[in-house]
Amino acid sequence: MASGIPYDAARQRWQVGATPPKRADEVSVPDLLKGYHPDHGPRARVSLAVGVNRGDPCQPDFAGHLQANALIDDVHIAGAQLVTTDVLVIGGGGGGCAAALTAAKDGARVILATKLRLGDSNTVMAEGGIQAAVGADDSPQRHFEDTLRAGHFCGEPELVAQMAMDGPAVIRWLIELGMMFDLEDDDRPLGGKLLRKKPGGATAARILSYRDYTGLEMMRVLREAVELEPGITLWNRCPVVELLSDDHGRCAGAVVYNLEWRCFVLVRARSVIMATGGAGRLHLNQFPTSNHYGATGDGLVLAYRIGARLRELDSFQYHPTGIAYPRHLAGGLISEAARSAGATLINGEGERFVDELQPRDVVAAAILRECAEGRGIERGGQVGVFLDTPSLEKANPGILAKRLVTLRHLAKKCGHDAAEEPFLVYPTLHYQNGGVAIDRHGATGTPGLYAVGELAGGIHGRNRLMGNALLDIVSMGRRAGAAAAAQPADGGTLWGRAGIGHVHAWQRELTLAGLPLDVRAPQLFPTYAHFDLGADAGLGAGMPAHGVGGIR
Amino acid sequence: MDSTLNQVLMKPEVRVGADLAAWLALGGGEGLANAVRDPQAIIPLIADADLRGMGGAGFPTHRKWAPVAAGPAGDKYVICNGNEDEPGTFKDRFLLEHTPHAVIEGALIAAVATGANHVVLYVNPHEKQAIAAVGEAVRQWRDLGHLAPVEAAIGGPLSLALVPSSGLYIGGEETAVISTVEGGFPFPRRKPPYPAQSGVHGQPTLVNNTETFAHVPGILRHGAAWYRNLGLGDASGTKLYSLSGDVLRPGLYELPMGTRLDTLVFDHGGGLLMGREFKAVFTGGPSNTLLTKHHLDVALDFESVRARGSRLGTGAMIVVSEGTSIVRKVAEYVDFFSHGSCGQCPPCKGGTYQLTRLLNRIDTGRGVRADLAALENLCGLLPGSGRCGLVDGAVTVVASSLQQFRDEYEALLVS
Repeated sequence: MASGIPYDAARQRWQVGATPPKRADEVSVPDLLKGYHPDHGPRARVSLAVGVNRGDPCQPDFAGHLQANALIDDVHIAGAQLVTTDVLVIGGGGGGCAAALTAAKDGARVILATKLRLGDSNTVMAEGGIQAAVGADDSPQRHFEDTLRAGHFCGEPELVAQMAMDGPAVIRWLIELGMMFDLEDDDRPLGGKLLRKKPGGATAARILSYRDYTGLEMMRVLREAVELEPGITLWNRCPVVELLSDDHGRCAGAVVYNLEWRCFVLVRARSVIMATGGAGRLHLNQFPTSNHYGATGDGLVLAYRIGARLRELDSFQYHPTGIAYPRHLAGGLISEAARSAGATLINGEGERFVDELQPRDVVAAAILRECAEGRGIERGGQVGVFLDTPSLEKANPGILAKRLVTLRHLAKKCGHDAAEEPFLVYPTLHYQNGGVAIDRHGATGTPGLYAVGELAGGIHGRNRLMGNALLDIVSMGRRAGAAAAAQPADGGTLWGRAGIGHVHAWQRELTLAGLPLDVRAPQLFPTYAHFDLGADAGLGAGMPAHGVGGIR
Repeated sequence: MDSTLNQVLMKPEVRVGADLAAWLALGGGEGLANAVRDPQAIIPLIADADLRGMGGAGFPTHRKWAPVAAGPAGDKYVICNGNEDEPGTFKDRFLLEHTPHAVIEGALIAAVATGANHVVLYVNPHEKQAIAAVGEAVRQWRDLGHLAPVEAAIGGPLSLALVPSSGLYIGGEETAVISTVEGGFPFPRRKPPYPAQSGVHGQPTLVNNTETFAHVPGILRHGAAWYRNLGLGDASGTKLYSLSGDVLRPGLYELPMGTRLDTLVFDHGGGLLMGREFKAVFTGGPSNTLLTKHHLDVALDFESVRARGSRLGTGAMIVVSEGTSIVRKVAEYVDFFSHGSCGQCPPCKGGTYQLTRLLNRIDTGRGVRADLAALENLCGLLPGSGRCGLVDGAVTVVASSLQQFRDEYEALLVS
């Protein structure tokens, strides 16, 4: 980060309640994005050298992970226990739970393996809500158009239309599972109409929410349902380190590492559903992230290695308002609710420099520009701009206590009172727009392998609307679960050879392309976790000392 | 690149596919013309060239042809076996797809030599491109009137037909081929009587591998000496080696018969993946024994490999490096056999199943010492108990791995 104006000097220039007019700006939005957004610029992308996406542009740090060698080789899984199941679900967030529940209801035996614990996911961090066209003044058609437009028309119309149409049914399913939603104020003693709010970038009030922790409420009911479902065997603390393939290039299961028993388990499955989420914890472009601890892009790396096609690998969403100070909370998310309620962004010179209600990529680029040009604010080595919550509180007394509960709590964790002192914010790596290319059932280019949620690409194009992520995971999760459970028995046999033959083909490609073989992925945990699979599993020589991040 | 690589069957310019005109323009058909000119000279010429059965046995080809030729007049069959379904073998599908006319011409020459009036191309339907190319090639031979000289030589009408196999592994066994061509399930039959005496519908029948037939037109065209000189040492001709496993450049390589194993693995295959150590190779697909690093200098021809206690088989070389579990590989192959068993002989049906079960137990870390003893008992009991060689093949690979890599089995047992 560049240096900025010292905090004390900036505090003196900032005055509570004195909302300055927006600075007249000579830079157009396309120029702003091109000049300052991390997705653009000369060093924003490299060309992939191996795999099905050879020649496609990819974020440079991410390319290092995609083009890395596998963590394990045949020698490490010799003598490993073998377990068979109909459907293996990888990932314990909302998408994985929806898929597992649907597959189990359809009669499949399901194993749900999750790297951390069930529910440790980005799903629980979704504060804003879930989009669904349920209002009388709204329609799936409008939802479809809004989503496609926000994604710069890069999404797959078929997938977007399907998700928009699924919306009302998803809400009904969640309510049936017991999820609570905020209701409109009326005089009924029980029940009522769902309270709808208008998300940024949408043409109608379409956000349904529960307070400002909708995702946590959703995960609460999903977790209970999964734990009570007898058809699902839950494996906590079991990261997948590699997929299994058969002779025909089908995905035939996965190699799971049990962190508690410190051993590998081979899972043979007729179908594998990956719902491993995003890659924020890889800290691409050295950005902080709002993502949870496990978001290290494991699924993308594994899917790519087994031969599934990926898309939009150079497009990530940076949320404009991540915490910049204090350092140990850097990257933590300050909900968009603050800005939509009227909080402004102020630079070190006391200026307002952007319309805060512009799309996320524009606001993020504007903040990055202020910081790069020395108008940021420096505090304790961290640079950012002010998010002016005291002026918001002054203009709307009581708003922090009533509507922005989480925000006030967050300020307390940062060591200040949100009504007295502004937040220091800086953009944070928030969402992976692209991912594994899927069809309408979540099926990837590799037979037997499904991808759900943030891991999958094609729905959100190059930019995602607020509230569409929660809808995406449940809609696609249920569809992939049903498709995987319906997989005819001859489509995925549980006999015959299954191994890591695709890894050997991959090593061949890496060698012939002249790429290093000692760089290993997936990373499983952030670099600062200092997790070393080789040492943990007691494998000794031949195992990697570091993931990609450690080598960089 | 090495001038000895791909010099005959896989020469890039002869890969014309099903285009008969292109094949004839390259000098194809000359071998058949020579054969028709003097049918009596064919079998001595093949004998002189020392052509072997490339399907795995290495049996001298002329000794299969002669009894069919000597059989009583009447219906006789020539069958080209293109069922190819063994793990690690992928040569016949290449020939059938890229040079089907070489194969058909070779089979027609065999018909001229033996007086057969039925020529059957028996192809695995799972190889879609191969079966499409053969279908088109057969149509062109029939429609363009090129069968007339053959019919003149055998003195009667000739039928040339494509018969899709069942696609099952067992369907590649010689007598199972005959069962399928008769329209039945591919159950192998007891030998003797050998097919040369009593094959399809009790008539004399010649069954040869696709690659064997593909070599025939060249011998008829260029002579036996030319063919013998292609080989290294005492071996003659070229061989298609299917190289797979942990090597950098797996693939199909046509090399002189008698090329050394290390030449194939290191010079052509680019050495082992990730710079690992060479551990072993399953020759000829899994029904043969293992060669270890002590055998890297072996010349890959039928006699030299046999002298080391293994067999060349189909020319498949599945390379295993240090770090790859032999037990797992063996378990996978025996699993393949147990699913490939046709089930008519109980010792094979049950025996391969039990072998798989024991190997999987040991491979997945659940095996005890008694399992290893049971495995060894089965290896003593099962050989020779089936009508065909399937159960023998399964036992051979288990016994060979037990003999050479017993420590790996022991290391996996529950202590």
